[in-house]
Amino acid sequence: MRWLRFLIGLLIALTLHSLLDSFFPNALAFFNPYVILIVYYSMGGNLVGAIFAGIAAGLVQDAYSGAIFGLHAFSLTVCAYAVAYVNSRLVLRGTLAFGACLIGAVIINELVIFVLVNILLKQRIEMFEQGMVVKTIFTCLFGMLVYQLLTLFLREEPIDATRRQTAW
Amino acid sequence: MAVPVDVIPRRPTLLFIVVLSLLFILMSLSSRTRYLGETRTMFERTVMTIFSPVPRAVNWIGQSASDMYHGYLDMRHSVDENVQLHQKVIQLTTENLKLRQSEGDLKRLRGLLGYSEQFTMPTTMAQAVMLDTSSRFKSIIIDRGSSAGIQVNDAVANASGLIGRVILTTKDLSKVQLITDSNAAVGVLIERTRRQGVLRGDGGAGAQLLDIPSLADVQPGDNVQTAGIDGIYPKGIPVGTIVKAEKGQELFKNIAVRPSVDFSGIEEVIILHTRKIPGEVVRYTP
Repeated sequence: MRWLRFLIGLLIALTLHSLLDSFFPNALAFFNPYVILIVYYSMGGNLVGAIFAGIAAGLVQDAYSGAIFGLHAFSLTVCAYAVAYVNSRLVLRGTLAFGACLIGAVIINELVIFVLVNILLKQRIEMFEQGMVVKTIFTCLFGMLVYQLLTLFLREEPIDATRRQTAW
Repeated sequence: MAVPVDVIPRRPTLLFIVVLSLLFILMSLSSRTRYLGETRTMFERTVMTIFSPVPRAVNWIGQSASDMYHGYLDMRHSVDENVQLHQKVIQLTTENLKLRQSEGDLKRLRGLLGYSEQFTMPTTMAQAVMLDTSSRFKSIIIDRGSSAGIQVNDAVANASGLIGRVILTTKDLSKVQLITDSNAAVGVLIERTRRQGVLRGDGGAGAQLLDIPSLADVQPGDNVQTAGIDGIYPKGIPVGTIVKAEKGQELFKNIAVRPSVDFSGIEEVIILHTRKIPGEVVRYTP
C-alpha cells in the first residue's frame, strides 16, 4: 500500500515537474517536488524502502532533466537514507517535524549534487548558496502544505513501535 | 511465502553503499557518454519510455487548455469586434442618412437660390417652424421676424411657387397666411392667355380663380402665376394649375386651381421684401 502511494506520489511529482517545465521553466530552481516525496516516504523509517524510493525518484528526475543520469538518484538516495535513518531512531510526527526533515534533506541533496558535479564534471555551480537557501525555504513551505493536506485526507501508517519518542 | 523480518537488515548500510557505488558508476558512464556526444544511455531511455505518458498527458492537457484559452480569447475578441462593427454600421448608417438629407437640402436650397436670384427685390431665407394647415385658416410660422427686416405683407414663396404673405411679425418669428386660406386673395393671370383674375383660397387644399369671364379661354392644365397687380406679390411667381374650369351661373366661370406648392411639406421659404404701395396712393382720389 505504501509503495502504491509512493508510485502515485512519483507520478504527481513528475506531473508537477512537467507542468512547471512547460509553463514556468525556472520554477524547479525554487523547489524540488521529488525531495518532498522522498522525505514523506522515508519518514516511515524503513531504510531499505527509502533507498529504493530514492533511486526510483532520482532516476525519474534524471530522465526528465538535463543532469547526468544518476546524479539525482544518488543525491536523493542519500537524502532518503538519512531521513529514514533519523526516523528509525526518533519518532518524528507532525508538520513541523516534516518541515525540519525537509530542510535537512534539501540541504543534503544540494550539497551532494554540488560535490558530485565538482568531481565528475569539474564544474562549479554558480550562486550555489543563494540557490540552496531559496530552494530550502520554498521546498519546506510547499512540502509542509502538502503534508498538512495529506494528513487531512490520508491516514499515515503506524510507525515502528521500537523507536523512541521525542519531544517534537 | 513471506520473507522473515530478520532477512532484511534494519540498517542496510552495505546495501546503501552498494547502491551508491552503482549509481556513481552509472553517473560516470553517463558523463562519459556525454563527452562522446551520446546524451542518453539505454537505461535512461528505458526510464523515460516507462514514464513518458505523464509528460505527454501534461503536454496534451496544457496544449488543450492553452487552445481553449486562446479560443476563448479569440471568441471574446470576435464578440468585441462584432459589437464595434455594429456600432460602426449604426454610425455610418446615421451618417449616410444625414448626408442624404443634406443632399436633399442642398438640391432644394439650390433651387430656392436660383429661384430667388430672379427677383430684383431683396430676399430673406427662412425656415418653417410650425405649420397650421388643418383648420380653415391656413398659416405657417417662420423663424425670421422683424429683426431680419421682414414686414407685414411681404410675399413668401419657395422653389415650387407662391406660399402666401406675412400677416404678423415678432422680433424673431413671422406668421404667413397661405394662399389656400379662405381670407387670402392674390392677383393672378393665366400664363397661356394672360387673362387676369383673383385667386382666393377655398379653405381646403386648393383655391378658386375668380373674375374670369364665361367667354374667356380657360382650360384645365393651364398654369396660373401672380400678376403683380395687387401691390403685395411680385409678378411671375407660379401659383398653381387649373384643374377644373366650368361655366358659372353668372358672368364668370367657376375655376378650381391646385396650388403648385405642397403646403404639408414646406421647409425653407423665401421672403420677398416687396415694395409696398403707400396707403395714400391707394386712397388717392382726384
